[in-house]
Amino acid sequence: MSHLSTDRLAALADEPPTATELAHLSACAECARERAAFRALAEVAAAESARIGSPLTSWETLRPALVADRIIDDGSANILASRTRRVSRPWLQAAAAVLLVLGGAMAGRYSTGASPLPIVESNPVATASVPADSVPQFRSIDDARVAQLQSQALYQMATAYLAAQDTSIRAVDSPAAIRTRLAALDRATQAIGQALNDAPYDPVINGYYLSTLGQREATLRQLNTVMPASMRITTY
Amino acid sequence: MEHEPLLIRRAIAGDEEALRALWARHAPHIDMVVRRLVGGDADLAADIAQEVWIQIFRALPSYRGDSQFSTWAHRIAVNRTLNALRKTKRLANLETEVTEDSASVDPDPDRTFVAQSIEAAAAQLSPGARAVFMMHDVEGYTHEEIAEQLGITPGGSKSQLFKARGKLRKLLAHLVDVRDVELPRKEPAHVAPVY
Repeated sequence: MSHLSTDRLAALADEPPTATELAHLSACAECARERAAFRALAEVAAAESARIGSPLTSWETLRPALVADRIIDDGSANILASRTRRVSRPWLQAAAAVLLVLGGAMAGRYSTGASPLPIVESNPVATASVPADSVPQFRSIDDARVAQLQSQALYQMATAYLAAQDTSIRAVDSPAAIRTRLAALDRATQAIGQALNDAPYDPVINGYYLSTLGQREATLRQLNTVMPASMRITTY
Repeated sequence: MEHEPLLIRRAIAGDEEALRALWARHAPHIDMVVRRLVGGDADLAADIAQEVWIQIFRALPSYRGDSQFSTWAHRIAVNRTLNALRKTKRLANLETEVTEDSASVDPDPDRTFVAQSIEAAAAQLSPGARAVFMMHDVEGYTHEEIAEQLGITPGGSKSQLFKARGKLRKLLAHLVDVRDVELPRKEPAHVAPVY
């Protein structure tokens, strides 16, 4: 038998030889040496996987890119988890503020054994005076989860309320802009709905889904306020 | 060291310190994957590594915890790097490269570049051969996975791998050569052909 080809010897680094090849390797020192060299190469390569080098990136160069990409927010308002609802509309900022203040107050009441806030009747102006020292300290994960769910529900209610009551937005948002937002929210709802099928218990995905549905309903209500009466949507 | 799931939750919530901590913890490995796949172009590797990290953080909310974060991030690094190399046309026509690359192997190892490390030696390979070798022999991907990632056949991946090993075996001869191999039988080779 002639010598094994280089390709075949390279393959034999991690493949078993045939009986014929084995017989040849046991007789041919040259091929046996080559096979041993390829096995040694495989070992060097395997060891390479554990080797680490100096990073190619530095935080100083990466951070501006992350800020530009809005992954890091220079302010404190928004980041990865809330990117889908990231807009600069004043009424949404107000809703976010309401969420923060009322969510904290409500969780505080919950943690002390009181019933949660009456959501429908909540008054943003009145609750905005909640003292800072009422920020809750959760006693358990369950406590935090309950507060999180209540905050999400409250957020949706506040957003819908603002969409219906805050007339300042009407001068800013045209019907075309609202329709564009609605179309985007529909796409987001569909995508997140699919994600929810894959991860039905994932709190992040659930949060996205609830928020998107809330925003969609609020946008529909807002759209109604700027449409002629004959074109208004009556169902959501 | 902070518990990683907690760190990830904080990062998803936008905590810059958590993002930085994740980067600091995993950059040595992730950046190394990029460096290996890109080869000797340090500037290109740095640019791609930055893209990789942006992509990792963009995708962070989709991390389900089914696998280790390092494994999840590693996959993103490989995918993103290969995509970036495709954009620079460095991974075009992989199947053609198999033939071209095999023709480029210098038959005389003494006249070739002598590499001091597998990384330096792999930098001498064509991009396609380097990608296949690094993914299979270093990163542990199967030929089927490589074929899917690179848009080639598993057979093409194998062929590329063997050519790459052949060239690296020459470039790293000083590291992998085995001088004495004990044969089970003391008889001259090829005196009696074995079939």
